[in-house]
Amino acid sequence: MKPVNRVLIGAAVMAALSACSSTPERIETLETARAIVPQVESSPRAGVAAQNVSEARKALNTANRLVDSGGKLADIEFESSIATLNAQIANEKILTAQANEEIQKGTAERQAVLIQSREREAQRFATEAEARAAEAERRAQEAREATLRAQTLEQELADLKAKKTERGLVLTLGDVLFDTGKATLKPGAYPTIERLASALKEVPARKVLIEGHTDSVGADEYNQRLSEARAQSVQSALLERGVMSNQISSLGKGESTPIASNDDAGGRQQNRRVEMIFQEDPARVASDAD
Amino acid sequence: MNRFIVSIMGAGALAVLGGCGGVSEVTKERVARSETAVQQAQQAVGNSEAGAIELQRAKEQLDAARNELRKENPVYAERFASQAQLTAELALAKTQSAQARKAADELLASIETLRQEAARGSSAPQTTTTTTTP
Repeated sequence: MKPVNRVLIGAAVMAALSACSSTPERIETLETARAIVPQVESSPRAGVAAQNVSEARKALNTANRLVDSGGKLADIEFESSIATLNAQIANEKILTAQANEEIQKGTAERQAVLIQSREREAQRFATEAEARAAEAERRAQEAREATLRAQTLEQELADLKAKKTERGLVLTLGDVLFDTGKATLKPGAYPTIERLASALKEVPARKVLIEGHTDSVGADEYNQRLSEARAQSVQSALLERGVMSNQISSLGKGESTPIASNDDAGGRQQNRRVEMIFQEDPARVASDAD
Repeated sequence: MNRFIVSIMGAGALAVLGGCGGVSEVTKERVARSETAVQQAQQAVGNSEAGAIELQRAKEQLDAARNELRKENPVYAERFASQAQLTAELALAKTQSAQARKAADELLASIETLRQEAARGSSAPQTTTTTTTP
């Protein structure tokens, strides 16, 4: 915009201009106003500067009327400058409103991006937590199964009427499971052996000692050999069924350790036996002190 | 003064104003208002680039208005005062729009930065301020 004061230099100029009633072909300030006023009027955000837009239009209309009625150049230029200034102010206000809208939208968008990235972060944490929980559950399940397996052996031993002694749980296999004078297991012993074998396989840490015993009838040496052979038979039967060899040891005690009188048949029958001594589960000793 | 009256003899209203034999309170008030507007613009614009040229022009127009007041030319005094007022308002509006634009650009840049960080995934979101020229 051309400064109006440059035109209004002095009264002499004014007088000269007013003396000449015809206006120049082209007034720069007016052309500027004519170009800029419609621009702000057509802006969709013109409402934010309604006052300036309407003042601009008013001044431009006045300037146009002055041109039509052969008004003075100074008046035309003044009105044009008022129109242009108002339009320029309106334009700045529109630009401000535009920027503020962007800020408003941007703030929401920024929030959304932040939330999104936090959610992604949270998702990652959740996935990790889930994996940790699954791993913990897997370990707990393993521990439960281990306990269950340990309990299986204890259960089998309890079912088979094992006795708790200071040497451990002692299961006595009576001589009815062997042919008289022989070390071979009768088929009737198999179910017991099967159950013990499968329970022992579950707990490879548990050790079992197999002891053969006889009554006092017969030579000591014979009884010793027979007791050893019977203990070995039981050991072999367990090994055949997959029990680890380092879990089992066997020995013969002959007639050295009777549990009843050898004077009557009933007592002697009790003395003819194979004992399986299960060491206490190291992990369970403390809690099973009863 | 006489010369002025002669030059606008045709316009009745202006003749009335000029014929008062002194500058009216209305005109003085008008100039005073534009002074206030220029002061406000001065404070808002400060050292910023946006609006500086308009502020300078408003000051010149205000000086011209005061000059016309001294010379007891009420019409020109009021015209310069009106122009000074509007030019000061324009200076203020330019400063404000430049500030808003800068804030918007910085915000958009920070969103872009956030997006890139989010895309990279691992690093925690940071607020970065970028400097933009108005």
